[in-house]
Amino acid sequence: MAVKKDYKDQKLAERLRDRKYYIPDSNPEFIKDVEKIGRTAAHMCYQCGTCTGSCPSAPRSSYRIRLFMRKAILGLEEEALTDPDLWLCTTCYSCTDRCPRDLAPTDAIMAMRNLAFKRDIVPRNFLKTAQLIYQSGHGVPNNAANRVAREKLGLEAEPETTHKYPEYLPGIRKIMDHYRLKENADRILAEGE
Amino acid sequence: MAEVKKYEEPRIGVFVCHCGTNIAGSINIKAVQEYAKTLPNVIIADDYQYMCSTPGQNKIAEAIKEQKLTGIVVAACSPRLHEPTFRNATKEGGLNPFRFEMANIREQNSWVHMHQPEEATAKAKDAVRIAVAKASLLEDLIPKSVPVEKTAMVVGAGVGGMQAALDLASAGIKTYLVEKEPTIGGKMSQLDKTFPTLDCSQCILTPKMVDVYRHEGIELLTYTEVEAVEGYIGNFDVTLRKKARGVLTPDEATARGIIGGGCTGCGDCTDVCPVIKPNPFELGMAPRKAIYIYHPQVSPLIYTVDFDACVKCGLCVEACGEERKAIDLDAKDELMNVKVGTVVLALGYDIFPIEKKFEWGYKHYDNVITSLEFERLICASGPTGGHLIRPSDGETPKRIAFVLCAGSRDNTGVGKPYCSRFCCMYSLKHAHQIIEKIPGAIPYIFYMDIRSFGKMYEEFYYRIQDEGAKFIRGRVANILEDPVTKNLHVNAEDTLLGRPIDMEVDLVVLAAAVQPSADTEKTRRLFGVSCSQDGWLLEAHPKLNPCGTTTAGVYLAGVCQGPKDIPDTVAQAEGAASAASIPIHRGEVELEPYFAVCMEDKCAGCGLCVNLCPYQALSLIEKDGRTVMHVTEAKCKGCGTCGGFCPGGAIWMQHFATPQIVAQIDAFLLGGEQ
Ligand SMILES: Cc1cc2nc3c(=O)[nH]c(=O)nc-3n(C[C@H](O)[C@H](O)[C@H](O)COP(=O)(O)OP(=O)(O)OC[C@H]3O[C@@H](n4cnc5c(N)ncnc54)[C@H](O)[C@@H]3O)c2cc1C
Ligand code: SF4
Ligand code: SF4
Ligand code: SF4
Ligand code: SF4
Repeated sequence: MAVKKDYKDQKLAERLRDRKYYIPDSNPEFIKDVEKIGRTAAHMCYQCGTCTGSCPSAPRSSYRIRLFMRKAILGLEEEALTDPDLWLCTTCYSCTDRCPRDLAPTDAIMAMRNLAFKRDIVPRNFLKTAQLIYQSGHGVPNNAANRVAREKLGLEAEPETTHKYPEYLPGIRKIMDHYRLKENADRILAEGE
Repeated sequence: MAEVKKYEEPRIGVFVCHCGTNIAGSINIKAVQEYAKTLPNVIIADDYQYMCSTPGQNKIAEAIKEQKLTGIVVAACSPRLHEPTFRNATKEGGLNPFRFEMANIREQNSWVHMHQPEEATAKAKDAVRIAVAKASLLEDLIPKSVPVEKTAMVVGAGVGGMQAALDLASAGIKTYLVEKEPTIGGKMSQLDKTFPTLDCSQCILTPKMVDVYRHEGIELLTYTEVEAVEGYIGNFDVTLRKKARGVLTPDEATARGIIGGGCTGCGDCTDVCPVIKPNPFELGMAPRKAIYIYHPQVSPLIYTVDFDACVKCGLCVEACGEERKAIDLDAKDELMNVKVGTVVLALGYDIFPIEKKFEWGYKHYDNVITSLEFERLICASGPTGGHLIRPSDGETPKRIAFVLCAGSRDNTGVGKPYCSRFCCMYSLKHAHQIIEKIPGAIPYIFYMDIRSFGKMYEEFYYRIQDEGAKFIRGRVANILEDPVTKNLHVNAEDTLLGRPIDMEVDLVVLAAAVQPSADTEKTRRLFGVSCSQDGWLLEAHPKLNPCGTTTAGVYLAGVCQGPKDIPDTVAQAEGAASAASIPIHRGEVELEPYFAVCMEDKCAGCGLCVNLCPYQALSLIEKDGRTVMHVTEAKCKGCGTCGGFCPGGAIWMQHFATPQIVAQIDAFLLGGEQ
């Protein structure tokens, strides 16, 4: 267990916090959950770093996919799920293409996001995206400027999606309702106000 | 026998080698070559990219014929590497091969003066000048052939020595297998399972031990040590000390007229012996009596009396009985002499005393053990019947930390700078064993690198990770014991997270480094074999002659040459056996003709040299009514002790004769202006 000292000053207490890793701090179920949801044998990661080396997000942020794999193995659930970097994966799947142990780090990240969402830990922009999809079937809906641009290129104003075929929107909403995605997004956003 | 020629007028050819850029990169070859042409007696000076190649060697042979040369100088690498090559080329050209002299301008020059081209070139000129001075005085020499004893000796009967002995004996060579312990088998017999196949160590070793015991070509000498060695390749004269065992084999009993007697291995003696001592085979974790065997599979199955512990109560003698009469409490060490043609050293290794790295608390904390102790504890025939327990309380440990590189890859001067090479793999094996045997147990492997280099080894690593072993990349900094629970706190950094770890575990297993076995130093000196800085025996060439040594006729097998696992040990043992059988099958070996020659007309017969010779090669004889010194050429190693000493200058050291050496010194000091 981490050693706790009773510093009166909260800032000082945070700064001098015991950062050692102790086995009781970790949750051995975490790696199992990640593997079950992500359907990838994350415990076989040998930390080569090919994933981070491939990741377009890594050079532009502090996001390190390899570290998330490590934390999954060590059971550092709290740390992994509360880390805002978790949401910086673009799901490009470059890491999954190249991982020499044939793992899918992308899917491990998706699994961790799932687990985070279960605990209402989601960035607001992701929730707003969910609301937009509910409204329009699009994370990034069409707009006036886009329509002009499309026509200039000789395309139809609306793409071959729910924009053109709004009759499919109820289907999408049904799926989202099933997972209570909209409901949760609304709730979490409201709670955060 | 070749005709012995002496030349009046020296005619020397000099050849300067580029060795690609190895030499030419820092030495001005043309300048050296031009300089050589100005030296006295030099008829031709040439150069070539690689003198050791066929065209390079042809240059030498052709020049000898065309220019009627009397001596050859090649300025190139070391004589160790290519003297034989260039001697052959000299012979090809029709000269006696000993009319060749080498100037080392690579190892002793271009490689060490890489950034000083001018000085290096000047030094190369000096070396060539000195070599030319000697080459001008070289004479024809005829090597001597001596017959080779048709027997071999293997010292050390671990898996390496056993394999070498089996191969030699199966090739039809009578082989003495000398083992200092009462049984053969070495460290492998202490192991439980072996990576990466996980077959049981005893199961694959015991049949081999039986083969060794039964092979009619092997004379097995256990509880025996090498006492003294004389001679040289083909004719080693080895004195062995058979330590007093106190128990007769059936053969020994028969020889003493006790027909049908001798030790049957029944163990009745052990039952009655009142003296209890720790069993070193179990690393002290189990007892043995003063009359003992290490374990039930020993070979030969003959008991041994520990005379340091025995109180001579005689109970065992009584228990053994009148019929077998196997026990002789008055036994004394015996010396025996054997003559062998070649020798294989397979002296193995010991575990480094890891308590010297006090930060890990071995011998201080109950629950810190070594991996060899782990092998005995997890082994079904071990002291706990295969139940891994915590020494402090006998409980089954659940959280077990493995500390890799314990004492290896350590440059503090306390541990060993090298990688012990099998600890990564056996620690993976240990992780597997606890997962298999203890439900819910978790092995935590603290490592810097996992070196799983062998065939199917990386696959083994993959398998163990999949089975649930936890890997923490970081060397263990220190271990602290909880004085109440006797649990251990392992402190390290998870270097992959960049975070320190304090891991509380029930048991710590140190993958301790290995070091040359205790008697290696003594034994290697007896055989005149060199060792490297770290004490492992030195091979003749790390790549091209890994089984040979610089002492002709002595070969190496197994860990004594450097850490290696069982597959590599056995492979090297087969290589060493093959190399050791070559001189025996050829039947004779050529000795370098560098022996001392007595110039009898100058010898006063004083005999002072006789006692100086470290190899007992000299004696006084009567000849034509005078006492003169006589050299036994096969014994003389050409060390020069006598030649340097003789007050009358009556000893001529062939190939290193006084006039030749003086000419070299003059050439150096006088800069060629004689
Ligand atoms: C904990 C542990 C686990 C291991 N597990 C594995 C494994 O799973 N798989 C694997 O491939 N390898 C394993 N190894 C390595 C293996 O032990 C060695 O590769 C092998 O034992 C080397 O055999 P050897 O004959 O060279 O030396 P040794 O086994 O040490 O034999 C040397 C013999 O020579 C004798 N001797 C020494 N000096 C003299 C002398 N002066 N005169 C007479 N006799 C002498 C000794 O008494 C000994 O019998 C393990 C090692 C350890 C420490
Ligand atoms: S590429 Fe694969 S094995 Fe390598 S660190 Fe990333 S997830 Fe692990
Ligand atoms: S899928 Fe995500 S983690 Fe993998 S490379 Fe792409 S952005 Fe990086
Ligand atoms: S084999 Fe592995 S544990 Fe042993 S010294 Fe080498 S790297 Fe370290
Ligand atoms: S990481 Fe630290 S302890 Fe290890 S070698 Fe470097 S300086 Fe030394």
